[in-house]
Amino acid sequence: MKTGSKLNALGLKVLVGLVLLLIMQPLLYLIIRASEKSGAQIIALLTREKTVEVLAITLSLLAIVVTINILVGTAIAAGLHYVKIPYPRLFLVATILPLAIPSYVFTYTWRALFPSMQGLWAAAFILALSTMPYMILTVFTAFQKIDLALIEVGRSLGLSKVAIFSRIILPQVRRSISAGALLSGLYVLSDFGAVSLLNVETLTVSIQNLFKSSYDRGAASIIGILLFLAAAIFISFETRLKGRDFETRGNEGFQNSIRRVDRSALSALTMSVLAGYIICAVILPLYVLISRFLANPTAVEVSDLVSAAASTVSVAALGALIAFVLSLPLAFLISQGKGRFTTFSERSILISHALPGVVVGLALVSFGSRLGGLYQSIYLLAFAYAVLFLAKSVASTSSSLALVSPQLKEVASTLGKSRAKIATEVVFPIALPSMSLGILLVFLTAMKELPATLMLRPTGMDTLATQIWSAASISRFNEAAPYALILVAIAAIPTFILTLPRASKREDTENENEKKVRIL
Amino acid sequence: MKKSFLAASVGAIALVIGSLTWVATQSESAGEKVEELTIYSGRSEEFIAPFLARWEQESGITLNVRYGDSAELAAQILEEGKNSPADLFLSQDAGALGAVATAGLLSKLPASVGQLIESQFIAQDRSWIGVTGRARVFAYNPEAVTTLPLSITDLTKNIYRGKIGIAPSNESFQAFVTALINEKGEAFAQKWLTNLKKNDAKIYLKNSAIVEAIDQGEIDLGLVNHYYLWEVSTALGRAINVKNGYFNPGDIGNLINVSGAGVLATSKKQASVEELINFLTSKTIQDLFVEQTHEYSLIAGTSSPQDLPDLKKIGAPQVDLGELVNIQRTQDLLIKVGLL
Repeated sequence: MKTGSKLNALGLKVLVGLVLLLIMQPLLYLIIRASEKSGAQIIALLTREKTVEVLAITLSLLAIVVTINILVGTAIAAGLHYVKIPYPRLFLVATILPLAIPSYVFTYTWRALFPSMQGLWAAAFILALSTMPYMILTVFTAFQKIDLALIEVGRSLGLSKVAIFSRIILPQVRRSISAGALLSGLYVLSDFGAVSLLNVETLTVSIQNLFKSSYDRGAASIIGILLFLAAAIFISFETRLKGRDFETRGNEGFQNSIRRVDRSALSALTMSVLAGYIICAVILPLYVLISRFLANPTAVEVSDLVSAAASTVSVAALGALIAFVLSLPLAFLISQGKGRFTTFSERSILISHALPGVVVGLALVSFGSRLGGLYQSIYLLAFAYAVLFLAKSVASTSSSLALVSPQLKEVASTLGKSRAKIATEVVFPIALPSMSLGILLVFLTAMKELPATLMLRPTGMDTLATQIWSAASISRFNEAAPYALILVAIAAIPTFILTLPRASKREDTENENEKKVRIL
Repeated sequence: MKKSFLAASVGAIALVIGSLTWVATQSESAGEKVEELTIYSGRSEEFIAPFLARWEQESGITLNVRYGDSAELAAQILEEGKNSPADLFLSQDAGALGAVATAGLLSKLPASVGQLIESQFIAQDRSWIGVTGRARVFAYNPEAVTTLPLSITDLTKNIYRGKIGIAPSNESFQAFVTALINEKGEAFAQKWLTNLKKNDAKIYLKNSAIVEAIDQGEIDLGLVNHYYLWEVSTALGRAINVKNGYFNPGDIGNLINVSGAGVLATSKKQASVEELINFLTSKTIQDLFVEQTHEYSLIAGTSSPQDLPDLKKIGAPQVDLGELVNIQRTQDLLIKVGLL
């Protein structure tokens, strides 16, 4: 029995190692290309004024966006969960919907209204709008899993509501806040669309420019490795923010007894923050898209629209599926307790997430073009999505697995269950709903991916993102509008489904308890 | 809840498999023809697709076209090397073709290909053939710019401080800088670029963004290709407040570059691809380019696009386009002065 589980663990480690090998392809590619340059060239490139400037801009942008996200995103998630507001589910869906809008579409729409918008702060604003849902989703999910008994204890000890929130609730969701910060921060590092349109030169823009304009893959790769290092440093900061693991009981049975704060001032404040965010991140872009769509003199080819939508959905879904499967071995390892190897694997996957699509695209072209029929097939493209976005799946999987209480695992093991059985029978069923969040995130982001899609899609296949690009590249934004609208409409469906079961449960409870609110 | 989750998962997977099969059969049914060619096109679909469709009809050969950015497609072909599935590379500029040719990935085309095209627009080793011509110009706001620059050296003067837009990551700007280095030497080019940067030139990603910025009053003038005025104004569906300007005759700022075509050495369908190039460089199609995409025909003595001076009257500098291939030095220089 014991040797069995040891073998099991070894097998898992081998599997995780294989996944790492796959994920590290882009980094390997960068190293091979960078080594084509001489040491002197590398030093000259790294120490020139421009590189230092670009690094400083990148780090400032990262710090600003992550700070905004931590403050506003957590507040929005808390408001959505704890404050009594009308139509909470609708608001939740609306705050997640911006995930479906590519950052370049955000930028186009905002610049349509404010043409002079550019620079660091404009980029920070746009990127905060587009990455806020990561924070809201992860933190909101964590709020749902909070140990309510602790809140009861706090209340019986006479703690104020503010104290309950800051001393009992926040520590429990700290891990998720940091997961949200991580996802949004890594996105900021890898974003090309928004920053390039707003004339902000980050490391990713530098890399893309070097690749694009010079065929100088060596120089681009050196900057790519610098970006990789920046991501590594960012992640080590994040680990500090995360702090030590909070022990939770993660008992879902208490969920139903959650009731919302019903104080008009707080509700009004929550509503206005929510409204502000939704207006900026959903209504305004949609308004611009719809008015552009209506202003478009050229008729829309419905068949183009349908086939682009079908390709987008199916390849993104396949990518999400592959990402989920690839994240499973690591998830099993994490659920059996953390070790150095799991932490290393987890971090490597997260860091590689900062690499921009063009790097991943070229790396997969480099090794995929040797695969014959698989090259430029939907399968390799879906695999590229999995490589690009595996971190999203891993981040939400590991933070949801961490929410499963250790006591529960101990109880199971005293009942004589093996570690593998505990993982499959106890841990996974509890963590599954939040793990599906990870799959959804991969799906949503894969749908709007552009640079790798352009290189790896089957010749002649269009996705919604490539259609948007194709119209926008010749300045015809009006013609891009219907594709962007369809993208948002499609993304709204899984977003809505994801928020469905729990929210409806809570609403039912609310109806029953309409009169005895004001609990927390 | 568990059951509904299971049902939803099964449903989702069924949906995925269903649509994957659909997507797969779509691409298969497209490939049933006897012969087909794969094209990597850096030229945008909107402008080239109608011509390619006409060729498909005339030849009965199916074209699978992969659209992308010229430079990114060139980088992709370089990565693919001998495994490239492409038969033909259509590029927006000579530089991207040159990069692929330098790596030995393009065939040397026989003299029977592109016979009508003027020889200055064909690579000396015949690795690529020019298809359309585009002139470098300075686009400007006629109300804001009262003193027009006579030479590119005027652009570093104080009167244009903070008012000029450039797109240093764009191939067309880099081809121009390469020509500048070739003509005046690297030291001169470095000084000029440094002064331009010091003159607070604004950096844009694309030529069209420069034209839009001029129209919106962000800047007063910018270095672009001639056809962007037409492209931006067509896209916006209105007249724009921007004009094309030309430097003194012979100034390197009046460079004429080409979009072109190269055949992959690994292609097993050389004859068909050559026919396609002959089609694109025929008199009929060249005239259509002038009319429909506002580019210059590369056949001697043909008319110029509407409202534009004749190619011969622009006062273009004498430049060997084949010499523009080596953009590595240009790159290094742009990186050195911090424009990239």
